[in-house]
Amino acid sequence: MQTDTKQPFSSQDHILNVVLLLIGLLVALPILIALLTSFKVPKEVVTYPPQMFPTEWTTENYVTAWNSNPFGRFLVNSFIQTGLITLGQVVFSVLAAFAFSSLRFPGRDVMFYFILGSLMIPFELTVIPNVRLINGWGWGNTYQGLVVPFMASAFGVFMLRQFFLSVPKELHEAAVIDGASNWWYLWHVMVPLSRGGIGAFSIFAFLSAYNQYFWPLVITNDVEMRTTQIGIRFFLVNVERGADWGAVMAATIIVSAPTLLAFFVAQKQLVRGIAMTGLKG
Amino acid sequence: MTQRQKNRFLSTIEGYLYLAPTMIVLAIFVFLPVISSFSLSLNRQAPFGNKQRYVGSENYSKLLGEFAECFTAEVCGDYGYSLYVTIIFTLGTVPAGLALAVLLAVALSYPLRAMSPIHRMLIFVPVVISSAVAGVLFRWLYHPVVGYLNYWMTFVGLDGPDWLTTKRWALVAVILVSIWKNLGFNTIIALAGVQNIDNSYYDAAKVDGANVWQRFYNITLPLLSPTLFFLLIINIITSFQTFGEIDILTEGGPGKATTTLVYSIFDHAFKGTPQRGIASSEAYLLALMVIVMSFAQMWVLGRKVHYQ
Repeated sequence: MQTDTKQPFSSQDHILNVVLLLIGLLVALPILIALLTSFKVPKEVVTYPPQMFPTEWTTENYVTAWNSNPFGRFLVNSFIQTGLITLGQVVFSVLAAFAFSSLRFPGRDVMFYFILGSLMIPFELTVIPNVRLINGWGWGNTYQGLVVPFMASAFGVFMLRQFFLSVPKELHEAAVIDGASNWWYLWHVMVPLSRGGIGAFSIFAFLSAYNQYFWPLVITNDVEMRTTQIGIRFFLVNVERGADWGAVMAATIIVSAPTLLAFFVAQKQLVRGIAMTGLKG
Repeated sequence: MTQRQKNRFLSTIEGYLYLAPTMIVLAIFVFLPVISSFSLSLNRQAPFGNKQRYVGSENYSKLLGEFAECFTAEVCGDYGYSLYVTIIFTLGTVPAGLALAVLLAVALSYPLRAMSPIHRMLIFVPVVISSAVAGVLFRWLYHPVVGYLNYWMTFVGLDGPDWLTTKRWALVAVILVSIWKNLGFNTIIALAGVQNIDNSYYDAAKVDGANVWQRFYNITLPLLSPTLFFLLIINIITSFQTFGEIDILTEGGPGKATTTLVYSIFDHAFKGTPQRGIASSEAYLLALMVIVMSFAQMWVLGRKVHYQ
């Protein structure tokens, strides 16, 4: 299927490349439309037939979006929720992956199968008891309620273990002979050597935490505790009352900005990580 | 205790300390709920307050009865209908989504040894945005008056439907969003599979005068089959669990036209008067389906690794 890299591109290849670019633009079109719409003046948003590009660029929609809901609050909530979940998953997964890859102790392999097994249990099965549990603890509408159930990641343990296994065992042996503790070795040798893998997992964890929908929807009902993904619903309610789609599109761009930014910065690692593990995180 | 035993004891303790944070969280929020949701599924919640009443397998037999109505009665019961919606949704999403992904992957593999950043970015952006945002974007595109989709349809002489408010089209609308949202993921995996195929097969086929279609049908497709099977299962599981898009686009409606199994769980557990017993039974049945699919996947992938 692939042409040899040594061959120069033929004109056929160039045509295919242009066609692929058009397909790519088509795929991204809904997001591009949202981006363009968000810069239109309100009356241009609802003209028929719809125009792709704004004739007059404005940031008015962003101001409207920002002021029409406690948007700053949603973002702060999302950052706290996402930051803590990501931190927890990365640190806890590093610890567990280290034990599975580099330490020997009875029961280790049984534990590993337990963790792998948990990957198979769908979220839907756990959500109802977890809501009861969290509300029972009085953690509804709190950050700990949003965060604590997601502090660990079986996927992360599995992925980081693969990375840790590729670090030569001799390094560990040498460090131990020199009198280093496992703890020291983990943080001073293993973690720095596995930066790429840990970085890739951090992005997965970040994206899936930030994009969470079901759990934040059912564990919060106080507007002040909603995350951005749930907050975006409030804009739709406004639209039904006749507010403007320009502001809604501005809101979707603001909500998506952190994930898009993370993606632009780390797209290579992210895509490679997906191709490697076959998982979305 | 000898020194040796002592060391062994200490290193065991150490190992468990490293595992403890992950194991504790998973035990409380993943394994414990497996048990507690089973016990919930054997109860019925009284209409007022939080009182539970033990009803044995009554919830399950109610669900199975609603399923059986699909064959015995004129119309399906609620559960049968949401299973039907889920299956139609899956049939609409998965084969078309995979076919598109394979076509894109093969096309991308032609001129490029690795996908160029710009292609990758464009195709992958829908995967990165959240399902809530995807739902909101398409609420706008599907809008019957100011939406772009119906406007574009007029170019080819079509009169666009009221996508989200008519029973037939609402499900189609949700299917299209789902295909779109997963296309990038499927393409990346399919592309990795296509690029793993040894070039010598194609060179040999070219020498034998095979055309593009023959090469695709006789080389790419068979050698891609493990990847395709993996994608097939992952996609079926994903479509059995799709929630955010449906909640934003249609809230399971109009009527119950887009109430999938997951949406029905949400409906029963968290909307109106909570019926968490019946919802837990539904969750258990859904989990069984997902776990069976996961096992099928492990089994086949295990064979694939074995034969390599």
